[in-house]
Amino acid sequence: MFGEEELVKIHKERATLISYIITAAFGMVLARLWYLQVYKGETLHNYSIQNRLRKEVVWAPRGLIYSRDDQLLVDNIPRFDAILTPQFLLDKEETLAKLAKILSTDVAGIEAIMKKNSNQARYRPIIIKKNITFEELAQIETQNADLPGISVDTFISREYRDKDIGAHLLGYISEISQVQLPKLRERDKTEYRLGDFIGQFGIEEQLDKYLRGENGHEFVEVDARGRRKRYINTDNLFKGIEDEKPLSGMNVKLTIDRDMQIAAYKALEGKVGGVIAVDINSGEVLSMVSRPSFDPSQFSRGLTPEYWRSLVGNTHHPLRDRNIQEHFSPGSTFKAFSAIAAFEEGQIDEHTEINCNGTFRLGRRVYHCWKKGGHGAVNLVRALRESCNIYFQKTANKMDIDDIAKYAKAFGLGSRTGISLPREVSGLIPTKEWKKKRFGQEWQAGETLSISIGQSYVLTSTIQMAISFAAIANGGKIYRPYVVKDIFDSEGELVKTFTPELLSQVDIKNPKTLKFVREGLFQVVNNPKGTAFYRRGQGIMMAGKTGTSQVKSASADKIYQRCENMDYDSRHHGVFVGFAPYDNPKIAAAVIVEHGCHGSSAATPVAEAVITEYMKKYQPEMYLKNLEKDKEIRESWIKSIRAAKPATPATADE
Amino acid sequence: MSAIFLVGVLNLYSSTHADTHDGLDALYKSQIVWFLLSVTVAIAISFINPKTIERFAYFGYIGTLFLVLLVLLMGKVGMGAQRWLVIGPIRMQPSEFMKLGLVLALARYFTKVYPEKQLGFKDLIIPGLIMGIPTVMVVVQPDLGTGLLLLFIFCMMIFYKRLKWKTIMTLGVIGLVSGVLMYNFGLREYQKKRIHTFIDPYEDAKGSGYNAIQSEIAIGSGRLFGKGFKNSSQASLNYLPENHTDFVFAIFNEEHGFFGSVFLIILYLVFFMRLIWLASSVQRFFDSVLIIGIMSIFFWHSFINMAMVSGLLPIVGIPLPLMSYGGSSMLTFGVGVGIATSVSNSRNFFN
Repeated sequence: MFGEEELVKIHKERATLISYIITAAFGMVLARLWYLQVYKGETLHNYSIQNRLRKEVVWAPRGLIYSRDDQLLVDNIPRFDAILTPQFLLDKEETLAKLAKILSTDVAGIEAIMKKNSNQARYRPIIIKKNITFEELAQIETQNADLPGISVDTFISREYRDKDIGAHLLGYISEISQVQLPKLRERDKTEYRLGDFIGQFGIEEQLDKYLRGENGHEFVEVDARGRRKRYINTDNLFKGIEDEKPLSGMNVKLTIDRDMQIAAYKALEGKVGGVIAVDINSGEVLSMVSRPSFDPSQFSRGLTPEYWRSLVGNTHHPLRDRNIQEHFSPGSTFKAFSAIAAFEEGQIDEHTEINCNGTFRLGRRVYHCWKKGGHGAVNLVRALRESCNIYFQKTANKMDIDDIAKYAKAFGLGSRTGISLPREVSGLIPTKEWKKKRFGQEWQAGETLSISIGQSYVLTSTIQMAISFAAIANGGKIYRPYVVKDIFDSEGELVKTFTPELLSQVDIKNPKTLKFVREGLFQVVNNPKGTAFYRRGQGIMMAGKTGTSQVKSASADKIYQRCENMDYDSRHHGVFVGFAPYDNPKIAAAVIVEHGCHGSSAATPVAEAVITEYMKKYQPEMYLKNLEKDKEIRESWIKSIRAAKPATPATADE
Repeated sequence: MSAIFLVGVLNLYSSTHADTHDGLDALYKSQIVWFLLSVTVAIAISFINPKTIERFAYFGYIGTLFLVLLVLLMGKVGMGAQRWLVIGPIRMQPSEFMKLGLVLALARYFTKVYPEKQLGFKDLIIPGLIMGIPTVMVVVQPDLGTGLLLLFIFCMMIFYKRLKWKTIMTLGVIGLVSGVLMYNFGLREYQKKRIHTFIDPYEDAKGSGYNAIQSEIAIGSGRLFGKGFKNSSQASLNYLPENHTDFVFAIFNEEHGFFGSVFLIILYLVFFMRLIWLASSVQRFFDSVLIIGIMSIFFWHSFINMAMVSGLLPIVGIPLPLMSYGGSSMLTFGVGVGIATSVSNSRNFFN
């Protein structure tokens, strides 16, 4: 038997072995630590920094948009959304209860929102409440530590000051969709990301690259639950990681006048249509409004389903722009160009009189004048003034369609004006060649008659009409219409300025041509027998032409049916194009009122309203002088009525 | 030994302090309370004569076994396992105490039965039962980590008690085969997952591999000199779960770097060497086996914890002695150190 101490001694060998084992084991740990901390230290160190830092996009403030008179039209306003990330919720009930209290809603409401979004990934935040107040914002931010999973999303909302007014011109921004992404990347050669905002319409789209600016980024310290930490406490760890400040977008000054926009919008109240006004001597677009309209602010933060339904469900299509993205038959407004063509081609002069007895037969077809019984013998000025169809059709019958088309095209009709806005339509001025190509048929003589009064194939947009009438007023100068005057950088330095661009000069050989056409247009508005006399306004000395654009060609028995008695969709569009003041033209305006029946009653007042606003604001002296002249016209008219006792004033029609 | 103990206090202070700025003040304070309690217990036990301890060794074993059984019947569920025993305000983790109970029982058994004999297969039956019963109970809780620890402590003790080399080889083969069988039939899904994760943590970096990766990042990012006291980003930003318990070593490494870890490991090593030296220099065989057993408890805890945190072993919930938060384990170490001191003191008395 061994004694106790000997027992311990014979185990000493094993004790030594155990100490070796232990040393070896810790040696392994140390080797591993060497590997991690020294060999892979740098890499893992970077990981740990990445771990705690989240690169967050700092959105560049989008450029602001001003009117020509420096009124702010489009602004950026910060809005805050309360968001919840399900993944980071710790104690759901407690957190929701606290949140509900802050947002003064109930837990059930929040849970309903969460349930609606329950199919998305748990790390994707859910918007609990949009547009929270500053008070709510402050409460959420200060209780940040007690509200894991809740945070505030700052959102720069694009706000359009006048909402629906001029929405088609200003356009809107919205997130790039999955479908758009590859196309836009290809188009702009820019690495857009899903969720980036981009101008999708109007100025916002056209000038996107100026307005957008460049997004920056910043690194924020976050914990494993994605909560932002207030302080980055170990600055020495962040060497070489730098934030990048966003580059503000450029500010834009438009040629558009805000007050005219408002006047135009009001004048179109209850109507479906558009008006555009341009500066005759530069092509600057002064006003451009289309109704019904929409509120572009709604797009910048994602449309609510209700709002979207209200837009799509509206049979008048609020998203459609009536000025440059739609075309229509110009109706009798086209007679101005038929007249110019005939005058220049020597078919008529100012003295040529043509008898109108109400109808004109060509082959088997009978063409009617709008006035039952006819106008009698009419010359050019009267034909324009009273919009006699027969005068122009008889004249056109002696002419080649291509000759008429030549002049219409020279005035810019039937092709894009080149306005700096997206998706302009071209319209159409038909020629023999076009018809051959399009239908494979020869031109019919009767078609020339329809074209001469602006029906059938001929299609124009209001912007084309405004530019062409401006050319009539300015002696044939075709300007490229433009809507942007200046682009400034965020410091206010001028980056780019746009000047008038003369595209062409219409070759007018006969100096009398425009003189008498203008005279005719003047009398349309200012002669008591003119079709627009009763809507001539005061102080603007407007010249112009009314028109009706036939939506459906009426059968013979219905030609004189009252337009108002027809189905809405069959009613004619009312058109008016004019310029003012007659003796010193400054502004041209074109109006379409869909299914408005008459150019005079539906469209003329819109042009009158816009031009009046312009005259008062920009030509106040001229305006006052014109008021005097208007008084004279009025007095002489009243005198003439008294002289010719049983006078029945012409019903304002064409 | 008390010097080492003091450094232990410092380590504890440093590591728990790292947690305090994340709203864990209460834990930090409670840890100090536990620590003081453990020191008191250690001092108290150090006055007990080792002979008395020997006399009550089986009682200790049976007592802790009873507690473990109690947990099985009525324990509180924590972290997916039933480990806690709540008596009034006190929450206990009896499986921690079980290690001490096992060490006591084995030391007593080996001293009384064939103390001089080299152990063979037949001699392992009864010690095997002494180890096997609590191990099975702990694994059933389920607490695989503690179960394995009991097994490892047992292994180290029978190794000390001169297990024949031939038997060691045979057991090694049996262990390997049964390990494979265990994996296929005996492990719960989350335990298997840990093993998968260990082999390739990056396979599921956000899921089951998350802890392992974050822990490695924490350690590695400390580099040579560390980020400095209280500057652990992984911990303060909660990238590491349970950073005050199982992953405390990772935080220590992140803050103090490689040099810090070398220092800490040397401390542990010196501590263990001191215990082994003590085991070889006592007069009574029971004391010797007991010290080896206690040393095993400390060693396996430290080694497994460090190895798992640094990615050498799969993640199992095993705390680091003297550094991790946890009352029961702290108390266990207190008792262990107390016994060691008692043995050390008795030796001095006899000399």
